[in-house]
Amino acid sequence: MKKKGMKILGKGNKAVTIPLTKKPLKQRIKKDLKKNRQLYLLLLPGIISLILFKFGPLFGMVIAFENFSAFKGILGSEWAGFKWFIKIFHDPYMLKLLKNTIILAVLSLVVVFPIPIIFALFLNEIKQKAIHGFVQSLSFLPYFISSAVMVSILFTMLSPTNGIVNNLIKAMGKTAIHFQASPAWFRPMYVFLQVWQTFGYSAVIYIAAMTAVDPALYEAAEVDGANRWVKMLHITLPSIAVSVITMFIISVGNIFTVDLDRILLMYNSSVYSTADVIQTYVYRIAFESSGFPNYSYGTAVNLLKSILAFILVMLTNKAADKYAETRLF
Amino acid sequence: MKKSSIRNKRRITVFDSVNNTVLLLIAVVCIYPFLYILFIACSDGTFLTRGQVDFFPKGFNIESFKYVLTNPKFDIFTGMKNSFIYTLFGTLIAVVFTYITAYALSRPRLKQRYVIMTLFVITWVFEAGIIPQYIVYSKLGFIDNIWVMIVPGAINTQFLLITKAFLDGLPAELEEAAFIDGGTDFQTLTKVFLPISKPILATIGLFNAVSIWNQYLVPQMFLKSDNLKTIQQILKSVVITSGNSGTVFTNVMRNGFTLNQNNMKAAAIFIAMTPIACIYPFVQKYFKKGILIGSVKG
Repeated sequence: MKKKGMKILGKGNKAVTIPLTKKPLKQRIKKDLKKNRQLYLLLLPGIISLILFKFGPLFGMVIAFENFSAFKGILGSEWAGFKWFIKIFHDPYMLKLLKNTIILAVLSLVVVFPIPIIFALFLNEIKQKAIHGFVQSLSFLPYFISSAVMVSILFTMLSPTNGIVNNLIKAMGKTAIHFQASPAWFRPMYVFLQVWQTFGYSAVIYIAAMTAVDPALYEAAEVDGANRWVKMLHITLPSIAVSVITMFIISVGNIFTVDLDRILLMYNSSVYSTADVIQTYVYRIAFESSGFPNYSYGTAVNLLKSILAFILVMLTNKAADKYAETRLF
Repeated sequence: MKKSSIRNKRRITVFDSVNNTVLLLIAVVCIYPFLYILFIACSDGTFLTRGQVDFFPKGFNIESFKYVLTNPKFDIFTGMKNSFIYTLFGTLIAVVFTYITAYALSRPRLKQRYVIMTLFVITWVFEAGIIPQYIVYSKLGFIDNIWVMIVPGAINTQFLLITKAFLDGLPAELEEAAFIDGGTDFQTLTKVFLPISKPILATIGLFNAVSIWNQYLVPQMFLKSDNLKTIQQILKSVVITSGNSGTVFTNVMRNGFTLNQNNMKAAAIFIAMTPIACIYPFVQKYFKKGILIGSVKG
């Protein structure tokens, strides 16, 4: 291949070509590899785990379109087209699962979401640094404790035989409640755990936004005769508005994401009517079915859920970009 | 006028005292359940059966801890040991992998960095679900293999974004200066960038450690042998599932104290949360920092 370029006279009157266009691709790759060899080596573990552990399972989703058999493998199993998806739309239990999933998510949004905002507003009014720090530290400790421990503690306190809650109920002359086996109590318990585990954690973001407020604003308001409540509502609250909107948009985007660990630890067959959600159903297909598990059907259910969740996250990410000027990614 | 109003702010009003009291109460309510478990674990079983333990231990003893840790039928000791090993090595690998990947992806001369970052984000937003994950990971040999706790989850996309954002924020002159001195990429990384990255390393290390220690789903999917189970799995089988009629729990006498199933369960729960409760006071400032940078994703 003839090199394009401008010929000039170099040293000793020899013609030297100064390349005007890029060198051939192969050569450029070679040069880049040589120059950035160590950089690519550093990237190697990341690329390998991206391919094997993150794209591997994504590729595995093709079994939703197959009659998957563990003996024949992902590549060897025969195609089934949209058979499993048609089955999903004829399965009345799917509606129940969708309903349970959305009810849990909406409860999380309505009940769990405002609590850290209120907590942060009042915590911000504490002027003694020591008390402020103490309260905040204790409030977000539960976030770092495992779901298994939290569920264990909850069930110990609610135990029908010796739990402190049922002791109180019995002391009032009523009969003990078997919380663990009651479908009506599942959702309140789930939401309670979520509040306990996350309110202090979520409040950290709001508190940080509040500390950025210019103290001169409060002083000016005081000169105008504003009291505590007026300042809270008209200075502190607007100062965290962007954070609140962002967090709200993120929560809406995560509406299909339930805390699978928590539900798997909390539920049992007597509370399926309220506790069974899409992910737990898929989990049971995979690990608790009698006979051969129908992996293809479970994956099809999960695929539909993932598509819905993906669309929702992309939409909310756009919304966050537009209304709060921040993005998730 | 203005001065006096500022002085007013410093004075403790009725609002302040009520607000302080209520919030302190909330903080106490938050951790009371943990204390309650401790009180049960330290009480004599006979008082528990009568429902007399609420706000302090009765018949104080620590026999329940000794009993559940030494009695092999509970597997508490094995579970703790396994969880410690997985957390230690998992965190180490996670921090190294996340950091070097973020470092490479934050170098502008790496042309492919946007493509690679986008691929990471896609796998983060679009979940494959547990069945394809289970099938592919079993093909890779992860069933009953402790490496499932260490390697596949090492690079968490969110932590990768956080670390990359931190490295992007460092001045480009740092690298240029190192190159002028003839440093290679490895040398620049270890000698120049690593020492100033301590805060971000501590933060992602802690978050990784907590998430490995706490996770339940992954070990439950892949680790089926009793001798590989984590403390979280043991809690599920010993405390949550066994109900009230479990034959594992027969009342025993130890050094003059009665131990019943509630003592033993409470001791197991408390042991499982001890490591995090112990490090928490010392590292909570990193946790707080982590929450903040995690919330403003790059």
